[in-house]
Amino acid sequence: MIQLLPMPEATVTPGVPKYLQEGYFVTFTDKWPDSLSWVKGKSFVIEKTNQVPYDLHYIIPSNDYRDVDISNSSDGEKIYPENTKTLYQIGVGFKPANLLCELFIPAGEYSQRLEYASMVPTLSSSTLKYLGAFKPEDTPYDDKRLFFYAVYKLEPLIMRLYVDTGIDYDKIIAGLLVNKCYMRQVVLTPEQARHSEVIRYYSELRW
Amino acid sequence: MPSRAIAMESTTVVFAAEKYNAKIIPNILTIDNYNGSQPAVISLQDRFTPSVTNGVPSPSVKKISRLKTTVDNGGLEIIGDALKDVEILGQAEVTIGTMDSSCFVTLGYDFE
Repeated sequence: MIQLLPMPEATVTPGVPKYLQEGYFVTFTDKWPDSLSWVKGKSFVIEKTNQVPYDLHYIIPSNDYRDVDISNSSDGEKIYPENTKTLYQIGVGFKPANLLCELFIPAGEYSQRLEYASMVPTLSSSTLKYLGAFKPEDTPYDDKRLFFYAVYKLEPLIMRLYVDTGIDYDKIIAGLLVNKCYMRQVVLTPEQARHSEVIRYYSELRW
Repeated sequence: MPSRAIAMESTTVVFAAEKYNAKIIPNILTIDNYNGSQPAVISLQDRFTPSVTNGVPSPSVKKISRLKTTVDNGGLEIIGDALKDVEILGQAEVTIGTMDSSCFVTLGYDFE
């Protein structure tokens, strides 16, 4: 559901596309809730795709943040699908800035934390504000490496965009590439299942 | 690289409107005060309205000076290196202490 692609250690030719393509298989684990029954435990083939770029921009003062809800809620940026047969694979990259980006799903629950009780992102701490925070160099605007997967009615995913100290204001430019994928449910052969992209529910990111 | 040369006929001149998905990166600022009637006190300004944030729910317009210089009448100043790492988040403006139609300012810039 949330995925940071690492820098490759080697290149292959021809290159491997980062984004889901027509004919690719995706499988949603059975940990997805019953309220999202249209994907829970099901596999699909991508029948068609359409890539939609979109930029979000905010000017934020030092040591302050803005919570950006990318869902279709009233205050959200409306980046989620509206159709049960659609999967949005959303690539996010940032232009250079004095930025830390923390992720929450649903609101108030950190997606990136360690197992020790106090090891959670904490913006008021001079050290823990760097825990679980993505920086522009982790996912550059022109080489997006942070991916979200959104389906109809998924709980809101929040990007907390924090401008670190040492600057008066900074402009945060988040480049999105929404890869709209139209899915058809299929039963995968074992060979197809091995090549299928597994999409885990956010609760599986915390253990 | 876009650039504009404008006579400072008013105390504040807009050189580039805000481009919302980019910062303005000034590369060169030339102040030609050769025919000016007094020293030109020049300031490169960044004008923007911040976003609503956790700490500031009702932000107001901000105007921040990113570079200041004074050029004597009869003088010419070309600023390049001193602009390195200067970023304009919003609208790029130049102000002059006393308006002077004989003082010309040229700003060259890129978007990033």
